[in-house]
Parts: sequence; structure tokens; C-alpha cells
Amino acid sequence: MSENWVLKEDEAVELLALLITSARIQMEEPAQYGPLRLLTAAERLSGMMLERASEKSLAFLQENIERIPDMHMTMSDVEAYRAALDERCRAVAACLLRHSSLSEAAP
Amino acid sequence: MSEAVLDNIRTRRVVREMTDEPVERAQIEAILEAARWAPSGGNLRPNRYIVVEDAETRRLIRLVAPGMFQRAPVLILICTNGDVVAEHHLPPTDRALLIDIGTAAQTMMLAAHALGLASGPVTSYSKEAVKLILNLPDNYSPEMFICIGHKAETAQPGMRAWKKITWRDLTHWERFQSK
Ligand SMILES: Cc1cc2nc3c(=O)[nH]c(=O)nc-3n(C[C@H](O)[C@H](O)[C@H](O)COP(=O)(O)O)c2cc1C
Repeated sequence: MSENWVLKEDEAVELLALLITSARIQMEEPAQYGPLRLLTAAERLSGMMLERASEKSLAFLQENIERIPDMHMTMSDVEAYRAALDERCRAVAACLLRHSSLSEAAP
Repeated sequence: MSEAVLDNIRTRRVVREMTDEPVERAQIEAILEAARWAPSGGNLRPNRYIVVEDAETRRLIRLVAPGMFQRAPVLILICTNGDVVAEHHLPPTDRALLIDIGTAAQTMMLAAHALGLASGPVTSYSKEAVKLILNLPDNYSPEMFICIGHKAETAQPGMRAWKKITWRDLTHWERFQSK
């Protein structure tokens, strides 16, 4: 487990701006843009956390910053997009495990 | 015939990664003047332009514009002036108003390209948040940003086409024929 504080108030407000304005514009935009906005938020949050995050998250955050912009280009290739998202889901699950007591209990 | 103009049209691409290098004032003015020569329905000229160079204002706009990936040194916001719309008794949904935004946008992007600058349009933002940040009066509707700057060397190619298209795929001669 890790109880580090990783966000400043200004950064958290910036992230809220992105989430709330994304929700609004999504009402008129193509459905495929929904995942794109969430990924943009994930990329920004990763960037904000980088400075203060622990070793358990660092590599995962760095990968989000490097790979998510490329995933925006992949949107027109649905299968490649799905595969890239699956890969990020595995990476987030691995990061969760590193932060969980489960990994401490592991043999 | 001006091959240079056709070439300019063919080679302009949306740029979503720009450097911090400022854009010269004379170049910004040349782009705005180009927009003035774009065609306008009924020659009514309902577009108004807000030019944003201040770093903090640009930062705030980016925060409420999820579709603005570039950090551009100059933002030109195309607004529709509601007073012109009312004065000529146009319904606010008149399609000429949208087309006017399009002709101005493309003219400015081609002008930027001709000046060796990069550009990108953005419509994915909260209009209400932008109105508040830019102190727009109620009769100004913020319709589209054109980001202007210098292309970063690291800039990625744009979104891939959903499928390969040529002008032939988009065109019917004389009468509609199913393809
Ligand atoms: C009405 C309209 C709205 C657009 N909105 C955005 C936007 O919010 N963000 C963005 O990055 N690109 C935006 N674009 C750019 C398109 O994605 C781009 O023109 C398209 O992918 C083709 O790329 P090209 O112009 O480089 O050929 C917009 C284009 C138009 C015409």
C-alpha cells in the first residue's frame, strides 16, 4: 500500500475541467471520441502524478504518457485500438497489484 | 494556372504538436486578412475573430478544450456575431452561418500554410467555459478555434483516414449512381 499525496489542488482542478467539459462536448460528438477523452484524462493525470509517485507506479505512468498519444492515431483501426486498450488494462491491473496487499502476500 | 495554390491545398495537414516559437504579428495579421477575403453568404460577414496570444489565457482555454492537443502560441477564435444574424432576420440555425465559419477556417489554414506556419482547427471545447474565460458578450457565439504556430519536429502524423478515399469516391457525375 502507498499513501503518498501525488496531486496539487491546481492540478486536480485542471483534471476536473477536462472531465467535466469532456462530458458536455461528448453529447454532440461521435461515440468513438468518448474513450479518447478518457484516455486524454488518463494521460494528463499520469503526467501530474509523475513527480511525486512511488516506484510502484512510475513505469506505468511513464508508459501512459508515451503510449496514449499514439493510441489517438489508432482510433480508425478498431482492432488495433482494442488491443492497445487491452494492453493498458493489463498494465493498470499490474499496477493495482503492486499497490495491493495481494502482492505482499504473494509467494 | 497557379500550381502553387493547388500544391498548398494538397499539402496542408492539421498539426497537433507545435513549438513555443512565437508567431510574428505581421503573419497573424496576414492570416486575418485572408479570412476577410473568404466567401460569405449574402456578403453579410457575420464572423468576428478573437486573437489570443497571452500564455495564461491560452492555458485556461486548453483546460476547457479537450480536443485541443496542441499548445499553440496563437489561437484565433471564430465567433458568429448574433447582432448581424438578428439584423438580417436570419434564423440562428441558418446553414450559411456554419458555412461562413468553414470558408474562413479553411482560408486561414491555407494562408498559414502558405506562410510556412502550422495550423489546426478545434471545435471540441465547452462554449460556455470559453465565453466566460474570454469575457465574450452574449451575442458572440464561439464557433471554432484555429491554432497557429510552428510544427514540432516530434509531431505525429494526423488521424488515419477511416478508409482510403480519393475524390472519385466522393463524386457523382451528372446524376447520382450507386457505387
Ligand atoms: C468541423 C471540424 C472540426 C474539427 N475539430 C477538431 C478538434 O476539435 N480537434 C482536432 O484535433 N482536430 C479537429 N479537426 C481536424 C480534423 O480532425 C482533420 O481535418 C482531419 O482529421 C483530416 O486531417 P487533415 O486536415 O490533416 O487532412 C476538425 C476539423 C473540422 C473540419
